[in-house]
Amino acid sequence: MRRGGLLLTLLAVALAWPAFEAWLLPGGWSVLDAVKSIFIFAILGLALNAVTGFTGILNLGIAAFMAIGAYAFAILTADLYPFQLGFWPAILLTLPIGALAGFLLGAPTLGLRGDYLAIVTLGFGEIVQDVLKNVDSITLGTQGINPLPAPTVPWWKTAEDGSRSFGLVDLAGETQGAGPYVSYYLFLGFLVAAWLVFRNLELSRVGRAWMSIREDELASRSMGIPPVRTKMLAFATAAAFAALSGGLWASWLSSTGEPANYDFQVSILALCIVIVGGMGSIAGVLVGALVMIGVNSILLVKLAEWLQARGVGASGSVFLSPNNWKYLLFGLALVLMMRYKPDGLVPAAGRGARKPAGAKR
Amino acid sequence: MPFTRPATLAARLSRLIPVALLAASAAHAADQIKIVSSLPRTGSSNAQTTTMVNGIRMAIDEVGGKIDGFEILYEDMDDASPQRGNWDPAVEGQNANKAAKDPLVVGYIGTFNSGAAKIAMPILNRAGCVMVSPANTYPGLTKPGFGEKNEPKVYRPSGKVSYFRVVPTDDLQGSVAAEWAKELGATKVFVLHDRELYGKGIADVFEKRAKEIGMQVAAVEGIDPKAANYRSLVTKIKASGANFVYFGGTTQNNAGQIAKDLRSGGVDAPFMVPDGCFEEAFIEAAGAANLNGKTYVTFGGLPADQLTGKGAEFRERYKAKYGTEPEAYAVYGYEAARVLLDAIDRAETKDRAAILAAVAATRDFSGALGTWSFDDNGDTTNRVMSGQAVIDGKFTFQKVLGR
Amino acid sequence: MEFTPAEVFAQQVVNGLSNGMIIALIALGYTMVYGIIELINWAHGDLFMLGAFLALTILGALGLQEASGPMAAVAVVLLLVTSAVFCGSFNVLADRIAYRPLRNAPKVSLLVTAIGVSFIFVNLGLFWGGVPMEVFSGGIAAAAPKDFPALVPSRNLVGTDDGVHFTLRDLLVVAVTIPLMVSLWWLVTRTRLGKAMRATAQNPTAARLMGIDTDRVIASTFFLGGSLAGFASVVYALYNNTISFQMGYRAGMDAFTAAVLGGIGSLPGAVLGGLLIGLTRSMSDQYIETRWTNALVFAILIIILVFRPSGLLGMKQREKV
Repeated sequence: MRRGGLLLTLLAVALAWPAFEAWLLPGGWSVLDAVKSIFIFAILGLALNAVTGFTGILNLGIAAFMAIGAYAFAILTADLYPFQLGFWPAILLTLPIGALAGFLLGAPTLGLRGDYLAIVTLGFGEIVQDVLKNVDSITLGTQGINPLPAPTVPWWKTAEDGSRSFGLVDLAGETQGAGPYVSYYLFLGFLVAAWLVFRNLELSRVGRAWMSIREDELASRSMGIPPVRTKMLAFATAAAFAALSGGLWASWLSSTGEPANYDFQVSILALCIVIVGGMGSIAGVLVGALVMIGVNSILLVKLAEWLQARGVGASGSVFLSPNNWKYLLFGLALVLMMRYKPDGLVPAAGRGARKPAGAKR
Repeated sequence: MPFTRPATLAARLSRLIPVALLAASAAHAADQIKIVSSLPRTGSSNAQTTTMVNGIRMAIDEVGGKIDGFEILYEDMDDASPQRGNWDPAVEGQNANKAAKDPLVVGYIGTFNSGAAKIAMPILNRAGCVMVSPANTYPGLTKPGFGEKNEPKVYRPSGKVSYFRVVPTDDLQGSVAAEWAKELGATKVFVLHDRELYGKGIADVFEKRAKEIGMQVAAVEGIDPKAANYRSLVTKIKASGANFVYFGGTTQNNAGQIAKDLRSGGVDAPFMVPDGCFEEAFIEAAGAANLNGKTYVTFGGLPADQLTGKGAEFRERYKAKYGTEPEAYAVYGYEAARVLLDAIDRAETKDRAAILAAVAATRDFSGALGTWSFDDNGDTTNRVMSGQAVIDGKFTFQKVLGR
Repeated sequence: MEFTPAEVFAQQVVNGLSNGMIIALIALGYTMVYGIIELINWAHGDLFMLGAFLALTILGALGLQEASGPMAAVAVVLLLVTSAVFCGSFNVLADRIAYRPLRNAPKVSLLVTAIGVSFIFVNLGLFWGGVPMEVFSGGIAAAAPKDFPALVPSRNLVGTDDGVHFTLRDLLVVAVTIPLMVSLWWLVTRTRLGKAMRATAQNPTAARLMGIDTDRVIASTFFLGGSLAGFASVVYALYNNTISFQMGYRAGMDAFTAAVLGGIGSLPGAVLGGLLIGLTRSMSDQYIETRWTNALVFAILIIILVFRPSGLLGMKQREKV
């Protein structure tokens, strides 16, 4: 019940945030954009949680699937390619494309155990990046593909003659003035949808099979759960939603950015979101995304700004520039959170989510 | 759209909040203007961007922190995040949005990476906020026909040019570099690049031009900028029989290590690099002994010690203030800030549109890089390129390149 | 004289083995710590980086940048010893402060802690580069790569200068790594401490019951693993002559890959994995294309693991019920 309360509170805060911000914070303090990236990374975190949290497979290459989603979205929509789909068909197609990529990687390797599989995912992440960089006749290499269509929503359009009609409205021009709120709520909507999907999976037969694999693969096999097929399902689901987050990301930025934007550091960030939040806990992932992206893109940014505004760092010394302390503070935050909350901020509820002390594998 | 801010109520509420920092931004807003820079300050580009920010701060200090009665606020925004260790597209987007929304902001100096510019440009363009880049060299950002077929108009949703740069683009520098290489006696070149937008772009142009003017290109190889060393690559270069090596890339992407491995691997062919390596850090990273006499650097402008007038003064002041010679990056940062301040001065207002028009109207600007104008695309007309050689551990001016 | 294809190949073997041995040395520290507490010690590469910064600082402080001949040899030994002791102690400290409180926590929490420690180390490296010393070029460009003095010249030791080079630096790598590997092997298999380590790795609870002070054994492992990183950092710096606060990332990644490729926890496996990665890199650079080298290393890793799921020399894990 507490957990449900927490989720509802988070949702309420997310819903009310734009209004709160518009009323209380001066323009320069708006964090709406950072909150949108919290939503997108929360989806990535939920995806990773399915494979790492529920099923217990350490995946160090989730960013590769995010990259695949972003580039798939770009190739399906950008006017440099023959497809030129709109936002909705393309974003929905990232799901099967991601799942397929997950299947292709998972099929030969999911028989591997523990950290051997972890390094396969890490290696896959590196390979995807190199391929995106090197096959520049298709991916434009490090240039990134742009522009990409912004999300569209059914909304009232005002035509030039002043008449209003209802139809799909492009949200591209809304970053200034009018309403960043529509795309804010759209991304929030995607997050809520992903959350509902994973919540239902968690409580379903599939989810219970995932968790039984995590707890004891041998025992669950003897109970008739096929380990490789079950893991495959988790792996592909995670890949699909990671790809979705990549597509949303690219649409939001209107660019895929460069392949290095989906490097190992992103996988690590996603992992930190899941672990800091609480492995296998959906509420935990949401809190984890809030905390990690919050520290990375809001807290440290604002702190540096605030110190700068007070003249700190103007001398050009490496030690005094607030920006040069970010690594240290980020690392310290991770260490301290794990030190005092080793099971995460919102640990998964009951049901033997945690292994007995000292147990191996 | 749904929420608009009733100014009076917001003001009243913000006064109620006992947070000094909120109050600070509200005070004296009428006679303040703000210039922001958005450069990657965390991680690998820190060394270069530090000198740029030094240059920007100096330009602001030179006018006494005031212009036309407006107090100039400056914010050094970071478009990198600790988690990425390099420019972060989300943060760049945030920075641009933040600047676009902040009515005090009249100019945006950035970005460092051309990829980041692609994200910030449309956002700032819609907001009518002028953007001056001290570092982007990817031609497609401004020049039709040099990038993808939809460039550069995709960066100008408002239809107006709002992006300007004080650095010459890769297509210029790459081709004068090839011409200079030929003059230096190159017949067979081995072209390397760091597989990034800047490095690959300039190397591609170099390769194309080299072939046009009759040089043989042994191979074009994209390196791994994080590798510990390039001995295997050097062995390959040695086996190829090339008598000249070009590297399109930056100090940060291991130019120094390549130079070292060339020399220790027994390749004594001349080595040429673009302005991404025109900084003391390159000589220090490579070790002067590995560069002396056989290393050439091209740069889009005249080096500080060749400048007269404004440029010479800049050099003296920079040395006095920061205790080092100003580097290429410092000059670019300084120049970007100067041209922006100059436009604000001429516009005599804090209106973005007027300032944008004033920047676009910049003609015969006498700055630290020489006298130049902005063309209709927003590019500098500065075509003066210079070639440096490393002699006795110092960049030594050789000649003016190009037109 | 022409550089014949056979000579090119031989040269690439030399390049690959030298680089591979350095990777192997780092991987050994990685695999030892992994073997005993199952920690993927993400900060290992960055610890290695700090070791190199210490070495450069010592050179600067003692004014040994220009040393040559016997003086250089003395300096090299001094650097090896100090960096090894420093990295070993620092690793123990990191364990004491960050990892030890989490002994009973989930494995992945430990991994996140290690990632956090790695970020802290990287930042320390950045600040270290800003120390106003001559060797750090006055500390003005803290983030820039630093030149490491060429105490060991790259003088060719075999044949003519036109042919294959096997330099004094290649010899240095061999001369430091092989004895270290042999003594490590001896330590783990022939001493009481080694026995205690193996016991702790196998079953910490049982080891404790048998009267083994597991905390001390783990601390010793961290010290040994760290000191290997320290040795490796000096060899790396003398071999490549450049250090940077970000060099730990690739070093750590290579070492991790080598350790897994060889079979995690296996000392000969880590060495074999390191050599294999080194050779793959140089062969790919020569015969394929540099831009595909990194992808190729990981592709080979994945293929090998598909056919040998516990790495090349790893023991097949029996499942415990």
